[in-house]
Amino acid sequence: MPNPDGSIVHLDGIHKWFGDNHVLRGIDLALQEGDVQVVVGPSGGGKSTLLRCVNLLELPSSGHVWFDGRDITDIRTDLNRVRTHIGMVFQSFNLFPHMRALRNITLPLEKVLGLSSAEAEERARDQLARVKLSEKADAYPGSLSGGQQQRVAIARALAMRPRLMLFDEVTSALDPELVGEVLQVMKDLAAEGMTMVVVTHEMGFAREVGTRLVFMDQGVIVEEGEPRQVFANPRTERLQEFFGEIL
Amino acid sequence: MQVGTEGSAPDIRGSSSPFAKTVFAAGAAALALVLAGTVAIQVFYALAHDPDPQVCLANGIIPYQPGPPSTGAEGWQGVCNIVLGLTSTAEEIVLIGGIAVGAVIGIVGLRTYRRMDTRRKRDHVITGAIFGGQAVTFGIVLWFFVQSPQKFVSQFMNFYQLRGHDGWALVNGIKFTLLLAFGGEIGGIVIGLLLALLEISGRRSVRAPATVYINIFRGTPLLVQLSIGYFGVNLGLGLHLSSFTVAIAIFALNMGAYSAEVFRAGIQSIDRGQIEAARSVGMSYLQAMRYAIVPQAVRRVIPPLLNEFVILIKDTSLVAILGLSLTQLDLFSAGQQGYSDTYSATFFLAASIGYLIVTLPMIAIVNAVERRLRSGLVSVAGGAA
Repeated sequence: MPNPDGSIVHLDGIHKWFGDNHVLRGIDLALQEGDVQVVVGPSGGGKSTLLRCVNLLELPSSGHVWFDGRDITDIRTDLNRVRTHIGMVFQSFNLFPHMRALRNITLPLEKVLGLSSAEAEERARDQLARVKLSEKADAYPGSLSGGQQQRVAIARALAMRPRLMLFDEVTSALDPELVGEVLQVMKDLAAEGMTMVVVTHEMGFAREVGTRLVFMDQGVIVEEGEPRQVFANPRTERLQEFFGEIL
Repeated sequence: MQVGTEGSAPDIRGSSSPFAKTVFAAGAAALALVLAGTVAIQVFYALAHDPDPQVCLANGIIPYQPGPPSTGAEGWQGVCNIVLGLTSTAEEIVLIGGIAVGAVIGIVGLRTYRRMDTRRKRDHVITGAIFGGQAVTFGIVLWFFVQSPQKFVSQFMNFYQLRGHDGWALVNGIKFTLLLAFGGEIGGIVIGLLLALLEISGRRSVRAPATVYINIFRGTPLLVQLSIGYFGVNLGLGLHLSSFTVAIAIFALNMGAYSAEVFRAGIQSIDRGQIEAARSVGMSYLQAMRYAIVPQAVRRVIPPLLNEFVILIKDTSLVAILGLSLTQLDLFSAGQQGYSDTYSATFFLAASIGYLIVTLPMIAIVNAVERRLRSGLVSVAGGAA
């Protein structure tokens, strides 16, 4: 069910303070189904905090988050239930190191969605095949490369069959030669029509795959638009500087 | 020095020399003379025939005469043999020889080790000097001891008394000591884990009772807790529990407070990303704790928990204050019982050895687990091994 304005996610006037640190200063953002929303900007600009406000891993200090037709910042919301519809992938993978890859995926399917172990395993194996790691089902995370771990983490999130995926600088902790395999999985996912919010420093990916782009700095959205246009004609001086620094 | 081009790493320690080897061997010999020599003399006297009562009497050991009234103590032959061995000329020679050789080697070693031109020579010389110094130290201590060992040996080394009383009392003591310790430990782990989960709560109203509990049990002596539990709570409320039961309960409550801190530290050492990942797939806080956090924390706290367990094994001796029933004596109580039956302090020596028999393997396990945790965090954390 879309939100009243037709979007699937709508951030409405989000502010976030950490102590005296005003990290988000009034963010408004709406995503339509199928959007690949790329978020770029210098570190410390509030990108990750913004992403974590979408599934309320961080509670906004003020403002509202609408998801799937409801204001999930309403205190009465069952957040555990909401989060089953929002997958998240982290910079540091965060696989459970004491479980094999397959178990990492089946655990939430069984304990949260209540699937039988046979159903959960079938779904988990499908997802491992999608990220091309079928042969690693019985491996512990510690024996996998960073790229493989991140793909398992993506499979874990996808197995929940979320309506929205959040990616928090998922390639930043990877060795350069492992970045490609993770980005490929994300490209495939975008091509299938998944709604995604992607915080990234990968400008190539942002331009190629993103359907919308926002540039954040110092807690505000400085510029937004269609990625190719933004890259071709950055309007603000701040974004021109940023591109100058990283490109 | 030739550097290896392939295969094993080159030997950088170099070769030794006859001089260095001699220093090493002489130091080792001095130490062996003092320690092994003393043991050998004791074995020789122990294997010899019964000692002459007159000689023993002359050494202040009164041979046993059944009464009434009886004189001396049973086991005097063994005591006399130990004393005769310690005061023998052979022991004197062994000690003087060991001290003299040890001193010479120590000095020679310290004077020459800097001049050695390979690592191996230097290691040999230094180790020889250390052995020499140890020979001097042990030799001097033993020298003072053998001047008048009669009273000490009569009190503490009448091993016959252990057999004369009830040979199984101390073995049973180990059994009940372990029962008390295991009971306390298992209860303590359960209580500790629950308290730790309360302690890490974001709500002060949840944390406060746990904190108060932990502070009270960590801030008062176990001896006082045992007394209050038994004489106060048990007798005061008319519960009619045995002192053994009360002791296990108090040990569990006390261990709970200490293991709570261990568990809390273990849980808080798990990366924040773990709970975030668990929450992001829709797990509740408790599910995240149960499936993601606690299983990892438990692996990390095994060494400190085993350490606490070793401490608890020794602390079970405090149960003596409650007076256990004679059929359930712990190791220390059994030793104390033996002492009051025979007036031979040998029982305390035997009880100490009993504690070591239990604790030394535990300490070895702690060290082994810690080594494994340190060397292969992945395999332990992942349980892959």
